[in-house]
Amino acid sequence: MTTSETSPLRIGQTVPDFQLNTYDPAAQDFAVFDLEAQRKDGKWTILFFYPADFTFV
Amino acid sequence: MGAEVVTVSTDTQFTHLAWQRHEGELAAVQYPMGADVTGRLARQFGVYNEATGLAHRGSFLIAPDGRLMAMEVTADNIGRNIDELMRKFKASLHVARHPKKACPSKWKDEGDQTLEPSAKIVGRVHDALQG
Repeated sequence: MTTSETSPLRIGQTVPDFQLNTYDPAAQDFAVFDLEAQRKDGKWTILFFYPADFTFV
Repeated sequence: MGAEVVTVSTDTQFTHLAWQRHEGELAAVQYPMGADVTGRLARQFGVYNEATGLAHRGSFLIAPDGRLMAMEVTADNIGRNIDELMRKFKASLHVARHPKKACPSKWKDEGDQTLEPSAKIVGRVHDALQG
């Protein structure tokens, strides 16, 4: 288990790069979100966690 | 301006597809829907609920250099206000462009009053805000 798994990220810390399989409604297709690509494009990212599909968000 | 918004739950991308196509409320949603099936990402951000295997409601703002700039987590059944999240985003953009400035709590958008933290305004923030 790595440190990042035992102690959650705090303000000001650098978020380790990650990839996430996605469904992209705009393209109506599956895709991959890649934080490293976001950084290289100079883009901001907002992660919006919610408990489960088919419930209110 | 502009940030990429990614919604994340522990559902698969296949469930995301089914939900987005089925739920009329989501017809206009254009954000990529991330599948954190193992909860690895939710754990990293401290929003994984070990008891349920689901993620808590948490919003996280990440700067282009990878730094975590803002976070908000709410307990079950407490919705988040997108206006407040966007305010934090705009304020983060502002202070990124103007590193000596601070956006106080009432700052909402470009043009609103900012503060320049310094010894001069210690104990005199009220006066500084009166301009």
